[in-house]
Parts: sequence; structure tokens; C-alpha cells
Amino acid sequence: MVVRTRLAIAACALLGAAGCSGVEPWVKPYERQNFADPIMAADRNPVAASYLNHVFEAREGARGALGAHGGGCGCN
Amino acid sequence: MRLRSLPALLLLAAGLTAGATAPAPSPAPDFSLPARDGGEVRLSSLKGQVVMINFWATWCGPCRKEMPLLEQLQAKYGPLGFTLLGVNVEPDSAAATAWLKSVPVSFPILFDTRNAVAESFGVQGMPSSVFVDRAGRVRYVHRGYQPGDESQYADLIRSLAKE
Repeated sequence: MVVRTRLAIAACALLGAAGCSGVEPWVKPYERQNFADPIMAADRNPVAASYLNHVFEAREGARGALGAHGGGCGCN
Repeated sequence: MRLRSLPALLLLAAGLTAGATAPAPSPAPDFSLPARDGGEVRLSSLKGQVVMINFWATWCGPCRKEMPLLEQLQAKYGPLGFTLLGVNVEPDSAAATAWLKSVPVSFPILFDTRNAVAESFGVQGMPSSVFVDRAGRVRYVHRGYQPGDESQYADLIRSLAKE
């Protein structure tokens, strides 16, 4: 039992060590212009998306839930 | 139980700290890049000079902010045997040439469109400035830019120029 726990702890430690040193961001700092590519946008059409968000927020009584300011009346 | 897991914890700690080691002076990887005013600039041809390689891009706000200050550094320390190289890392260099019309600089601007040089220097932030001494060794890497960092640049250039 003790041996098994020890093995488990050692395995966890090894995994932890590998996890800390192995993972690197794959978009390099000098490649960050790629984030501004239109393909990275969640909404292809920002004007239509903001209108739909407004409708959704007013209908759900959740004005402000998607980042807009205002009360729950749907009038702003 | 607590004592038994101590070696494992030590191993974990060693793994965590392994990434933060200070680099010893190593020879700067040589490169040759096309310059803005035509021709090529090779780093090894600048041996004997203190070289500051500044990696920048027009989408990087701090890079734009420090560019006029870099021009001042070049004007002030150029006579001491100091050369600044501005390496633009964008795949399309049109934005850089357009922007440099509003912020004129006299030091060479090089275009690393395929990011091979940025990769060979292991650039870990934008902007990054690599200080190469007269013997062609990387002595210091400065990541990022905050107002006031230019005095650190000046101190480094002065101390490297005295060697």
C-alpha cells in the first residue's frame, strides 16, 4: 500500500514537473497580429450581433449580461 | 505521510524553478536581413560595435512609444560605436514603412517577415531589446517597455561601450 502511494506521488510529481516546463504558448509574442485576423472574431457581423444581443437581453430580462450597461427595461 | 511525500514535493519544486535561469553571455545568432533603404544588414559585419537589436511591430503600442526615444539613443551614442537595429516582425512590412513616415528614424529598420530572427533570439515579449557587446555576445535582453526604461538602455549602452 505504502509503495503504491509512493509510486502515485512520484508519478504525480513527474507529471507536474513535465506540465510546468513542457507547455509553451504556441502563438509567439511576435505573431500576435494573428489575433486581429477577422477569422478570430466570434461575431462575423458586429452590427447585427449587437442588435441580436440587445433583443436577447431585453427578452430574458438580463440587460447587461452580455457586456452592455443599463437596467432591465430593454429601453436603452 | 508528510515526510514521505517530501521528496516528491522537492522534485515538483525543482520542476517549477527550472524555467527561471539567467542566461550566461552567449554568441548572438548571426542573421542577414533586408533593410528599409535597400541592401542587407548582417549582424556579424557590426562586430566591434555595441549593437542593440529592437524587435518591434506597428500593432505594439509600447514599441511605437519607444521608437522616438530609440532615435535619441542612436543620435547620442552613435559616436561611441553604437548601432541600433530595429527589426520589424510583421509578415507584411507595408504598415511599418507607412508608420515610419510619421516617426522618422535614422537607424536601420530591418524586415524579419518570416520571423526567423525573432525565433532564433527566442523573443519572449514585445518589444524586446537584445544588447550585443563588441565581441558579438548577447549580454542583456530587455522585455517590454515602460516609461523610464530608456535610462536603463542608456546605462547599458554606456557600460558596454566602455569595454
